[in-house]
Amino acid sequence: MVTPDLAPDLSHPEPASEPASIADGIERRLDPRVMALNRIVGGIVAAAISLSQLVALLVIYFVADDLPGWVMALFVLLWVIVTLILAWSSHRWPAVEHRHTSYKLDERGIEIRKGVYWRRVIHVPRSRVQHTDVSQGPIERGFGLGTLVIYTAGTDHARVDLPGLEHATALQIRDYLLPDDEDAG
Amino acid sequence: MQAEQRLHPLSILFRLAAQVRSFAVPGVAVLATAGAVGWGWQVWLMPLAIPFAILSVVEYLSFRYRYDAHEMVIRTGFLFRNERHVPYARIQNLHAVQNVFHRLWKVVEVRVETGGADEPEATLSVLPVSAYEEMRRRVFGERREPAEETEPAAPDKTLLYLPPPELMLAGFIQNRGFVVLAAAFGLLWELGVIDRLLGKELSGRSLTKAIVAVLLGRGEFPLTGIALTVAALISLVVVSRVLSMGWALVSLHGFRLRLAGEDLRAEYGLLTHVKTTIALRRIQTLTVRQGVLHRLFKRAAVRVGLAGGGGEEGEGKTQREWLAPILPQDELPRLLSEVLGERDFASIFAGMAWRGVHPRAFRREVKGWVLVAVLISVPFVLPLKGWVLLLLAGLLAWAFVAARQTIARMGWAVSEGSVLFRSGWLRRQVTAVQFTQIQAVTVRESPFDRRTGMASVRVDTAGAGELSHRVDIPYLPRETAWELCALLATQAGRTAFRW
Repeated sequence: MVTPDLAPDLSHPEPASEPASIADGIERRLDPRVMALNRIVGGIVAAAISLSQLVALLVIYFVADDLPGWVMALFVLLWVIVTLILAWSSHRWPAVEHRHTSYKLDERGIEIRKGVYWRRVIHVPRSRVQHTDVSQGPIERGFGLGTLVIYTAGTDHARVDLPGLEHATALQIRDYLLPDDEDAG
Repeated sequence: MQAEQRLHPLSILFRLAAQVRSFAVPGVAVLATAGAVGWGWQVWLMPLAIPFAILSVVEYLSFRYRYDAHEMVIRTGFLFRNERHVPYARIQNLHAVQNVFHRLWKVVEVRVETGGADEPEATLSVLPVSAYEEMRRRVFGERREPAEETEPAAPDKTLLYLPPPELMLAGFIQNRGFVVLAAAFGLLWELGVIDRLLGKELSGRSLTKAIVAVLLGRGEFPLTGIALTVAALISLVVVSRVLSMGWALVSLHGFRLRLAGEDLRAEYGLLTHVKTTIALRRIQTLTVRQGVLHRLFKRAAVRVGLAGGGGEEGEGKTQREWLAPILPQDELPRLLSEVLGERDFASIFAGMAWRGVHPRAFRREVKGWVLVAVLISVPFVLPLKGWVLLLLAGLLAWAFVAARQTIARMGWAVSEGSVLFRSGWLRRQVTAVQFTQIQAVTVRESPFDRRTGMASVRVDTAGAGELSHRVDIPYLPRETAWELCALLATQAGRTAFRW
C-alpha cells in the first residue's frame, strides 16, 4: 500500500486531450479560473466588512465627540490594518486554497481533498450517491464554472459540495456518479 | 379493493381521555401550588368539555383505512379531507403500544413507521387486537418476495429473554430513579420543607453557610451536619436504585427479543405493553456499552441506531432502540453474530483482533486532561491558598491515569463485514458499522496530526447523531489511516445500500 500524500500529487501531466473516461484515478485540481472567481467573491465580502466598519467609525466620530483624539486615531489605525489584512487575504487565499483542493474519480467513487490547515479527504463510494446537483451562481456562470453537489444518506456528509469545476466537467462527473439503474431508466 | 375499516369505537373514549388529560396536568399543578383557592369556578369549566366530546366523535367517524393490493390507504378529516397512501414495502415498523386501559378492553394503539419521516406516518388509536394482527399479516405478508414465500418460513428464534432477576440488575445498573429523586429533593429544599422538617440547624442551607465560614477561617466544623448530609445522600442513592429496579421490573417486564426472518421483534412491558419490529437492514450502527457496574456484574447493554431516513435529502434523523437493556457479557458475541450475520466476533471480543492507536497518542491525549486539571484548580487558588498545589497534584495524577487508560483501551478492528471502534475507560463503548451501511469515509489531518504523523478516520452513516458513539478513530498512524480508508471505501463500494 503506497501512502498517498495529503497534498495532491500532481506528478502526472495533465492530459492534453479530453480523456476517454473521467474516472481514471488521476488527481485533478479545480479549474484555475476558480481563483479569479474567489478573488471577486472575497473582494466583495472584504469590501462589505470594511465599509460597514467605516460607517461605524463615522458614527462614533460624530456621536461621541468628547472622545479623546488618540482613541479615535487608534480606531482609524485598526480599521486600516483590518482592511489591509482583508484585502491581502482575499487576494492571496484563493491561490492557497486552490493548491490544497483536488478531486479524484475512479471505479470505486469520488475522493475530494479540502482544507489548508485542517485537511480532510472525503471518499464517497459511487454506490452511496443518492443523487447529484450541478448548480451555477451568477458569477460562476460568467466564468463558465459550476458547483457539483453530491447527496448521500449520511449525516456529516449528507451533502458534499465541490465548487469551482468547469461546468462541462461538473456535468461529466455527475453523469459518471449517477446510479446505474437510473441511467438505464 | 377491500372494504374500508374504522377504528374501534372505544377510540372516542381514549381520544377524549387524552384531551382531558392534557388539561388535567396543568390544572392539578395549579391546584397543588395555589392550595386553598375556591373550588366553585371549576364546575363552570365542565361544559367546555362538550366541544371536545363532539370533536372526538367526528374524528372517529371520519377516520377510515383500507388495504389495497400494495398499499395501505388512510382517510382522515371531516372538513379538510386527507387521503394518505403508504406502500407496504415502505413500512419499516408497526409499533404497537398497549397500556393498562388498552389491555382491559383488548385494544391496541398502532404507529405505522416508514423510513422517510421523523414521526410515525400514521397513528391508529385504537384498534381491536384482531385488527392489529390482520394489519401485521397484510403489511409484512405483502412485503415478502415471491421467492421467499415458497420457502418454509424460518421459525422465530428467541435471541434474548430477560427474567426478573436480570431486569432488577438492569434497573440497578441504569439507576433511572436518581434524577427524579434529586429533582424532588431540590424542589423540597427550595420550598423550605426540609428546613421545616429538620430544623434550620441541620438543613442544607445553614450547613452550606457553616462550611463557607470554616473555609474562610471562622466558625466550628459542622461535623453533625456533614454526617447527616452524607447519610441523606447515601439513603438517596439506595432509594433511587431500588426505585430504578422497580421501574425496570415493570417497564421491561418479560423482555423478549426474537429473530423472525429478516426482522427483529422486541416485546416488553407489564402495564404498557410494547411490541416493535426492527428490520435488520435498517440497523445503521450497533453500540455496546459497559459502565463500571456492568463490568462488575459481567454484563453489557446493546443499542442500535436506526435511520429515520429524512427523505431524499438524506438528513438522517437519529433513532435509538434497545437491543438488549442488559446482557451477560459472554452472550455478546452470539447476539452480535446473529444480528450482524457474522461469525468472527468471538475473537474480536476476546481481544485478539483489536488494533491500537499511534504509540505517541498518549502524549497528545494527556495534554487535554492536564489543561482541564489546571482550569479546575484555578478558581480554588484564593480560598485554598497553598493547598491548591495538593489539589492540582491530585488532579494531575488523575489526568495521567485517565489519559493512559483511555489510550490503552482505544482500538479498532475490521471483521468479515463490519468495522468496529472502541473507546472509553470507565464507561466503555464499542460501535460496529456494517460495510453496507457506510455512506462516506473521511481521513482528517489537523495541524497537530501532521506534526506527529497521525490522522483520524471517520465513518459516516445514516442517522448518526453528534452525541452518539460512532466510528471516529483518532490518533491513527498516517499509513494505517490511509490503508483503513482505502479498505473501507473499497468494501463499501462493492456493496449496495438499501433503505
